[in-house]
Amino acid sequence: MGEKALDIEQQSGSSGTGRDGIRREWSRFKYPNSLIGYGIVLGLLTFFTYSVHYLNIPAERIFGMFGRVGDVLATRYFPPDFEYIADFGYFDAVIETIQMAYLGALFGLIISVFLGWFAAYNVSPSPRYIYPVARLFTMGCRSVHEMIWTILFVTILGFGLLPGVLALTMFSIGFAGKLLAEEVESIDMGQVEAIRAMGGNHLQVFVYGVFPQVRVAFTGISIYTWDVAFRAATVVGFFGAGGMGWYLKRNVMQIETERTAAILVSIIGLVIVSEFISTWARSRVDKAK
Amino acid sequence: MQATETSLTLKDVINARHKKQRVQLCFYLFLFALVIWSVQATVIEDTDWERIGSVSEIVASVSHFFGLDIGLIPDLLAPTIETFMIACLGTLLGLVICIPAIWFGALNVTPFKPVTYPLARISMTLSRSIHEIVWALIFVSAVGLGAFAGILAIAARSLGFIAKMSAEAIENIDQKPVEAIRAMGGSNLQIMLYGILPQVLPVILGIVIFEWEINIRRSAILGLVGAGGLGLVFFRQMNTFNYPGVTTVILAIFGLILIGEVVSHYSRKALN
Repeated sequence: MGEKALDIEQQSGSSGTGRDGIRREWSRFKYPNSLIGYGIVLGLLTFFTYSVHYLNIPAERIFGMFGRVGDVLATRYFPPDFEYIADFGYFDAVIETIQMAYLGALFGLIISVFLGWFAAYNVSPSPRYIYPVARLFTMGCRSVHEMIWTILFVTILGFGLLPGVLALTMFSIGFAGKLLAEEVESIDMGQVEAIRAMGGNHLQVFVYGVFPQVRVAFTGISIYTWDVAFRAATVVGFFGAGGMGWYLKRNVMQIETERTAAILVSIIGLVIVSEFISTWARSRVDKAK
Repeated sequence: MQATETSLTLKDVINARHKKQRVQLCFYLFLFALVIWSVQATVIEDTDWERIGSVSEIVASVSHFFGLDIGLIPDLLAPTIETFMIACLGTLLGLVICIPAIWFGALNVTPFKPVTYPLARISMTLSRSIHEIVWALIFVSAVGLGAFAGILAIAARSLGFIAKMSAEAIENIDQKPVEAIRAMGGSNLQIMLYGILPQVLPVILGIVIFEWEINIRRSAILGLVGAGGLGLVFFRQMNTFNYPGVTTVILAIFGLILIGEVVSHYSRKALN
């Protein structure tokens, strides 16, 4: 603080003699920092301009584009054909989507409890061998997008809900595993050390020292994971897993735009409902803390 | 007298605890029943077990994916760059279209609360609740195949997150600089430029970098529905049953995401 005040004092005079006896001109732009900052901005701008050129983007059409998108939506996708989705087949698909998301999130959460344990540096049974493997596995699950998981599982297992469930499992592992590991890494180590000092093994340390501390956070993470998994599940069917995505795919392929619009509206509605439920449940869990 | 009272309350406590335990038990039973029902419906009934065959057949079909298609690597460079650029430009465009949403969506700066605030909130929810694949489908049908549709899809998808977090950042600013500028007779624009923006700029930049990292992951798959980049190569390799090629593409995506994660980590560190 004292340093800083002195610094400001030095710079505030239009020309003054500094602590080290060197005359300094006041400047709004401090020499190395401002140069680096403007350099980065300039570099980014050059990169952006070059990429617009490289990708052949019609930059002058960008702002007219929004009108065009609105136009397409209004003429082709309006009015949504709600009669098409108001039947039992579609209702079944909605139920299937919910089931798929539920199972995927559940399996993913069960696995990510262990991964969160193994991938947290402070309580991992073996920080040298198990920790990096668990870390890498979580990262791998997270980096591969859920759609790619779906395509891979569909290739291996064929069409159906099972590949969807497995894809969502991988997705949930990546999502919840990281959050949980971070949560475990920030626990109070006192209890862990107490159990270790009593001669507890790794499992006992986890069950009695770690888990009670992260239980509430884990409940919140599970609800959030379910919400995100549901969001993904609505589209997973697009690549061959069942549910609403399959309806979407069929109607997109047949260019039944008004039916597509109805399906999209139903997806948005369900996602908003699930988000609402998840926010409510998480606020309840936070209060229980 | 006192003793009976104590025992009464003790009983109450025990009863209450038993009741709570019973409710919890019911809840867990309900969850378990849901699991059984879902497994029954999805895994047992809907799966074509004949198609899957035996364990050895699954192992065989998984083992197709092992190995790399070295010959594909030179062809991957251009799509990788394209994917990266789609992510960057998409995030930039997302940030630009975000500005009105942030302005309208922060309670303390929104110009006309009853109209603009709900408007901003609805656009944020809409943007986040539509999956990037669906956004890409909409934009591909509007502007045609190619990277441009991908950029628009990424921008539309990132609006929600950036705007929501930034609006929260603006709601939590220190009010003193704002009051100082207002006391000096500054206009609303000046308050925004000199009172609010300097406070939230680092936060917003951090959010944007975080979103950019996620957008790399998203732009890698947009090609599946015709928006260019690595997803298109993935799609082609899959359709020609070149499974080692598929693995190669996935590794390329993995590498790109790794670069993004490292850059994002260090640049966010530098911001703080």
